[in-house]
Amino acid sequence: MKKTDKDIFNEYGSFDKVRYGLFFFFMLILFVIITILNINIGSVNISVSEIFKIIFFKEGESGYYNIIWHIRLPRICMAAILGGALALSGLLLQIFFNNPIAGPYILGISSGAKMVVALTLVYFFKRVGHVSSIALVAAAFVGSMISIAFILFLSRYIKSMSVLIIGGIMINYICSAVTDFVVTFASDSDIINLHGWSLGSFSASNWRDVLIAFVIVLITSIIVFLLSKPISAFLLGESYAKSVGVNVKIFRVVLILLSSILSACVTAFAGPVSFVGIAVPHLVKRGLKTSKPVVVIPACFLGGGIFCMLCDLIARTAFSPTELNISTVTAIFGAPIVIIVLLGNSKRRD
Amino acid sequence: MDYFVKASKLTVGYDGKALIKDMDFAVKKGEILTLIGPNGSGKSTILKSITRQLEKISGAVYIGENEINEIDYKEMAKTVSVLLTERVRPELMTCYDVVALGRYPYTGKMGILDKEDKKIIEEAMDIVGIKELSNRDFQKLSDGQRQRVLLARAICQKPSVIVLDEPTSYLDIKYKVELFEILKKMAKEENVAVILSLHEIELAEKISDKIMCVKGDRISCFGTVEEVFKKDIIKDLFDINDEEFEMYFSKGILVD
Repeated sequence: MKKTDKDIFNEYGSFDKVRYGLFFFFMLILFVIITILNINIGSVNISVSEIFKIIFFKEGESGYYNIIWHIRLPRICMAAILGGALALSGLLLQIFFNNPIAGPYILGISSGAKMVVALTLVYFFKRVGHVSSIALVAAAFVGSMISIAFILFLSRYIKSMSVLIIGGIMINYICSAVTDFVVTFASDSDIINLHGWSLGSFSASNWRDVLIAFVIVLITSIIVFLLSKPISAFLLGESYAKSVGVNVKIFRVVLILLSSILSACVTAFAGPVSFVGIAVPHLVKRGLKTSKPVVVIPACFLGGGIFCMLCDLIARTAFSPTELNISTVTAIFGAPIVIIVLLGNSKRRD
Repeated sequence: MDYFVKASKLTVGYDGKALIKDMDFAVKKGEILTLIGPNGSGKSTILKSITRQLEKISGAVYIGENEINEIDYKEMAKTVSVLLTERVRPELMTCYDVVALGRYPYTGKMGILDKEDKKIIEEAMDIVGIKELSNRDFQKLSDGQRQRVLLARAICQKPSVIVLDEPTSYLDIKYKVELFEILKKMAKEENVAVILSLHEIELAEKISDKIMCVKGDRISCFGTVEEVFKKDIIKDLFDINDEEFEMYFSKGILVD
């Protein structure tokens, strides 16, 4: 039977809804499996039944209890929350610059945050002896804004995205140089703290930090989700967004601020984490076969969480007892995806 | 009937530098106004200024009763829709998704399309003849097809004024003819004011009610087709001599 126009239009919506549903279902299952694996595997393996007993009935052997409640669970939560934040931050930057390889790490935004956090850490350790997590987030935010200001300045003169990325990489080098300088001349006790952190890691997460990260990321992400509509208009570029009634001037600022808050939060708690911001939005969009923000935003958040938990699991366990930096692992998975995106992009432009 | 779009003493340009000064022109609903002139004469600049894509330097543009700077963005979007020359590159969006963005000013907070929206989108796609493309990836279309999708987008915005910057650029003859039929229909049947810029002045002659010639730092001529399409005016507008004029406009190349 020949399909009428009406059928084509009806199918249009329903096919997509089924695909979105399946994709989310698949991600949720993956999320659960990776969470369980993450609790289960480590220097001490804890059986699944034991895990359930400890988590849901809060009973069981006290050694295991401590490992789960004080080491593994906060770390898993941190990886999930910050992974989601990173993926979302990358997505926002990609929409802002209308380019699929924009991300907080590659544009030097994470390094800017890292630099200011390092300076703050050293300064506070000297004067006060400790630094609150909120102060670190604020410092990271300031650093992000410095890098972004520079990138925006460059983007006024450089229209080519690949050249802009080179600008980002240069910012990366400058900020890393400053950070290294600070680390070199900091006193010994600071260095231990600084060094591990400046390479990126989810270790040493505690519930207090998890709570702070959770609140910041949750609020920001909800705002991002509520902005799905103007974000969708932005997909056709600024001029068309303007023509349908988006206040582009304000909206651009909002996008950048939200993206910076998210990536600053990640840098403050886990150090710079590479490539998640590019890889996850790309995979999610391919999986959903759409870039509609209403579905892509929550999917990115979930996907980022899964991706980071998986990478953290590998970082912890691959060469146990030595732990890898989280960026080492995310780069191994993320960098090839960036290359794939680049290749796909150049093909389409012909 | 009153003029719907009216510019008075309008001066436009970039970065505070005036490019075209002191323009006065007006269009009624149901009329088609075409801007013609040599490349780089500033046709796009004028169109961008009257649609608020570009801040105008001085003067006023009225749409309906109001000066455009006093209309809020959303209201403006319900009144004016555009087809621009800039290339759009939306990743992984179907044609339907692109057209649907034209409903932006009418949808709720989350941009969910209701039945009415969907009906209007379908109609717009039908008018432009792209229904069968609705599930196709926008980026994988030909330039001509993309142009038509973007036209459908502009149509489903249900404007009172539609502004098109060089809409024929990527189109072959068949689509050009179709485009003009669509625009004429919109003007006559839906009472829309159509403002466009064109390269091909022979086409401008066929569809326009009013013609505006843009050259140098002002409008060199504004009037009806009969008033503007005179040999001297056209020769002067494009800086061509008698021979060149005859060569381009000589009849007899295509006889039945």
